[in-house]
Amino acid sequence: MDGPESVPCHGKAPAGLFARRREGACALPKRVPTFHDRFVELFDAHFPRLCRYLDRLSGEPDLAADVVQEAFVKLYRRGSLPDAPEAWLISVAMNLFRNVKTTRSRRRRLLTPARSEWSLSDPPPPPDEAVTAESSRRRVRLALDQLPDRERRMLLLQAEGYSYRDIAEALDLNEASVGALLARARRAFRKTYEESFGAP
Amino acid sequence: MHLDEEQVQRHLDRELTESAETSAREHLAACADCRRRVAEAEEEMNEVHGLLRLVDHPMPAIRAEAVAARARWHDSAWLRRAAGILLAVGIGGAVYAAPGSPVRGWVHAMVKRIGYRAEQVTPTPMRGPDSRIAGIAVDPGLKLVILFTSPQAAGEAKVSLTDGTEVVVRAPLGVATFTSGVDQLVIDNRGSLASFEIQIPRAAPWVEIRVAGGSLFLKAGAQITTNQPVEPQAPYIFPLKAPGS
Repeated sequence: MDGPESVPCHGKAPAGLFARRREGACALPKRVPTFHDRFVELFDAHFPRLCRYLDRLSGEPDLAADVVQEAFVKLYRRGSLPDAPEAWLISVAMNLFRNVKTTRSRRRRLLTPARSEWSLSDPPPPPDEAVTAESSRRRVRLALDQLPDRERRMLLLQAEGYSYRDIAEALDLNEASVGALLARARRAFRKTYEESFGAP
Repeated sequence: MHLDEEQVQRHLDRELTESAETSAREHLAACADCRRRVAEAEEEMNEVHGLLRLVDHPMPAIRAEAVAARARWHDSAWLRRAAGILLAVGIGGAVYAAPGSPVRGWVHAMVKRIGYRAEQVTPTPMRGPDSRIAGIAVDPGLKLVILFTSPQAAGEAKVSLTDGTEVVVRAPLGVATFTSGVDQLVIDNRGSLASFEIQIPRAAPWVEIRVAGGSLFLKAGAQITTNQPVEPQAPYIFPLKAPGS
């Protein structure tokens, strides 16, 4: 049985004409991607990365998802892609994130002034496997929180595979020194993490 | 020459240029010390990435189409709000302007209640040779309507353009009451047969003279619109009848 390739589209036709017609059919103009297409492509590539980045940064997955969605909403409403969309998205998401955190911390200060005391008085975890994993998570969280903001963000962006150019642009750094700064940030993180084993 | 920290990290992250990468590979092939440093850095990087994964949460299932739809909804919501406001303003204006509408009375009562008081001015004798002439001077602002409340059976408005900064209206003492409000100077001339002298600054952007709602004279910028034949340089003189009567 012939496949679709051999089925004429417009009934019977002389071989030469049919050949020309098929040739024409193959030469359909290539569709230029619209802004919407490019947005979808960018979203699919970067939503998970940005979301994971902010989740690791904040430890709040819902907040991370909300903020990243909002950044993409802003991008869509912009109607065109910026020159460096990845760096743009990181910057916008970070600004939104900071705004939310600032508002929230202000509210928290007003409403629950004793919150930090509650955190200190949390009971120690019971000794089983699940708790060991939880303990590791807490140490990672602690090590991340203790890093200076710039190092923390660099480390997390690099872990998500962002290019040095994007990292430099988003964090306002000299691109030529991103590698060395990353190496230092990684060492600082590891040191803090290892030291936390001795912590109560 | 050994690889520095920047080069080692860039090599691991594939951020070296093609030629720099070639040079780095050549060096690594010959230098055990740098190979060891690269291996240690790679191990450390993998370890750190593994640790970071410990704090990950499940990724939310959000589709690009849903976010795009939200962005479009944002825009259309804004447009809907703007359209709603315009519609409300339009309806409010129509209700306010409808003949016999009680809304005008309510609005005026409310305005009075919240403290707005139109500046009520009774013509005071102006300094001049004739003490029987009274008048008012107001700043034309961006727009000023001089409104005669009633058409007159006799009497006229004599309008001249001046180099001054204020609109000046003069009339014989006691023939009218002047009320100056926002963008408006109301001349209550009921029962009057007198003539009024009006001076308008050339620099005033927009001044209109209306008699009982009909437009008699309009100065918009440098352009003058009237329904009366005028002579250049001469004052504009209009009977204070309602236009069209």
